[in-house]
Amino acid sequence: MSDRELEDEGGYWPEQIAELEKRRADAAEMGGEANIERQHGAGRLTIRERIDALTDAGSFREVGSIAGTGEYDENLKLKKLTPATYVAGSARINGRPVAIGGEDFTVRGGTSFGAMRRKGGQGGYIEDLAHHYKMPLVNLIDGAGGTVTSAKRRGYVVFPGVDGFERSVELLGEVPVVSAVMGTAAGGPAGRAILSHFSIMVEGSSQIFAAGPPVVKRSLGQEISKEDLGGPKVAVNKAGSIHNAAATEEEAFEQIRRFLSFMPQNVWEQPPVLPVDDPVDRMEEDLLGIVPDKRTQPYDMKKLVGMVVDRDSTFEIRPTFGKAVITMLARLGGRPVGIVANNPKVYGGAMDADAARKQIHFMELCDTFHIPLVFFVDVPGFMVGLKAECEGTLREGMRAVYMAGQLKVPTLTLVIRKCYGMAGMATCNKNDIDLKIAWPSGEWGSLPVEGGVAAAFRREIAAAEDPKAREKELEAELRAYSSPYRTAEALAVEEIIDPRETRPLLCEYIALAENRLKITLGPRAKAGVAP
Amino acid sequence: MATTEVTSEVIGSVWKVEMSEGDSVAEGDLIMILESMKMEIPVEAPVAGTLKEILVKPEDSVEEDQVLCLIES
Repeated sequence: MSDRELEDEGGYWPEQIAELEKRRADAAEMGGEANIERQHGAGRLTIRERIDALTDAGSFREVGSIAGTGEYDENLKLKKLTPATYVAGSARINGRPVAIGGEDFTVRGGTSFGAMRRKGGQGGYIEDLAHHYKMPLVNLIDGAGGTVTSAKRRGYVVFPGVDGFERSVELLGEVPVVSAVMGTAAGGPAGRAILSHFSIMVEGSSQIFAAGPPVVKRSLGQEISKEDLGGPKVAVNKAGSIHNAAATEEEAFEQIRRFLSFMPQNVWEQPPVLPVDDPVDRMEEDLLGIVPDKRTQPYDMKKLVGMVVDRDSTFEIRPTFGKAVITMLARLGGRPVGIVANNPKVYGGAMDADAARKQIHFMELCDTFHIPLVFFVDVPGFMVGLKAECEGTLREGMRAVYMAGQLKVPTLTLVIRKCYGMAGMATCNKNDIDLKIAWPSGEWGSLPVEGGVAAAFRREIAAAEDPKAREKELEAELRAYSSPYRTAEALAVEEIIDPRETRPLLCEYIALAENRLKITLGPRAKAGVAP
Repeated sequence: MATTEVTSEVIGSVWKVEMSEGDSVAEGDLIMILESMKMEIPVEAPVAGTLKEILVKPEDSVEEDQVLCLIES
């Protein structure tokens, strides 16, 4: 048949192309108008709107677009296709490819979709795509996971882990993984959210828990709303299950784009360096006056860090959890760095169990993706007291020391004020050049003089005529030795700088570290047993 | 009229109360100073309004999340 004749007949494969178009059109309708309206009514976008809002315009390349459940007439001709409960594919964010997928809540509430191959969730196609093409994975979670009704369909119940988390776990050592909890997540999807490098939820419309209110009621007799059980006040601020909260879905997408802008595509690549207009040799005059003369007065550490790094480059991770330590991604001379800064406004910066957990995760994140670490140190030690002991501060704190001792990424230690004890050790990396730079306000030791004197000279103080005066005398005597310059004489800190010199110095070292980073790319070695 | 609870971020004790009930406060004003881990921890007004009630006095011990004072705005 000639081309001309074919055209008369309606073109190549006319019925087949028409059926493909019908299937695509059906799938595009998602769970139908009523369900989409209900989703919008709850202040939530549909999965397709979310992907559009998060990724570069027109960049979404869908996979499994016509997977679903077909309904057929008596001649086995398709009547209607109900799409699968998950939408997946690749897209670009700021021009860089990502694997992205999420449950379609408008189709059966986003519950698991039984098919030959899963599209998303644990072990789904989307995870294989991120793994084989070595690109970041973005999970937009909005589903309830398994449903007991599937047992009736199958005729048996599945054993836990048949669709396991193996791939999800593997990805954590390969590519950046971001999870956004966009609705109520329990069970599998909740677990999937945790297995990520950065997670976020939306205030007012997201909740996450191991099990929701009906299960809690049945198991413990407790009545509690889903917001009180798993809203951001619990999941982000108290539990730290999710890293950040956002006021709206759009803000959550902005935070995801921001997080990924610091990340390499995978552990075999270097993190992206951006052009910078903030001069690397900028001497910030205000740094000189930021630390109060009086040792007992705190200051604004976030402001301090902001003055040193590239202007407006900071992105804080976990701002409301473990607040004694501040963890931020930022840039120095356009190069991504991880900032770990103690917060003197919260318990004088003393490390409690939550702060330790936060610092551990962040150090591991930066070590995995070859992002150099800069510690802004003002830590009086581990948190003390009964509450701190009950929370396991000692063990969690030593886990932070253990993790710091395994870092392979270039690390700089900048002592702003206090650096004491084992919490101080968690701010140094002995595997590296171990460069410790201090401001003249720096002070350090095994433990602070106050308290230390009372313990070491207990008898002498008790025997003195005026014990209080003797204690003060001893403190003054020992404090004379704690001048930072005396330690620098012994090269036990390598350099003491004028605070205004901080940015030029850090920028120079971070630039120097680049060649070293090139030869240490690849997956992070697994360590032994963490304490 | 909304009442805002100003809570303690730390376990510690009250060192100085810098304001009195009935005072008007701007956001960020220093209301009192706590002492914890040998540090002075400032308690600042999270919102502007009138200091309706101060629930602690110097030397009182305070717990994390304990309500220290109420601001009406």
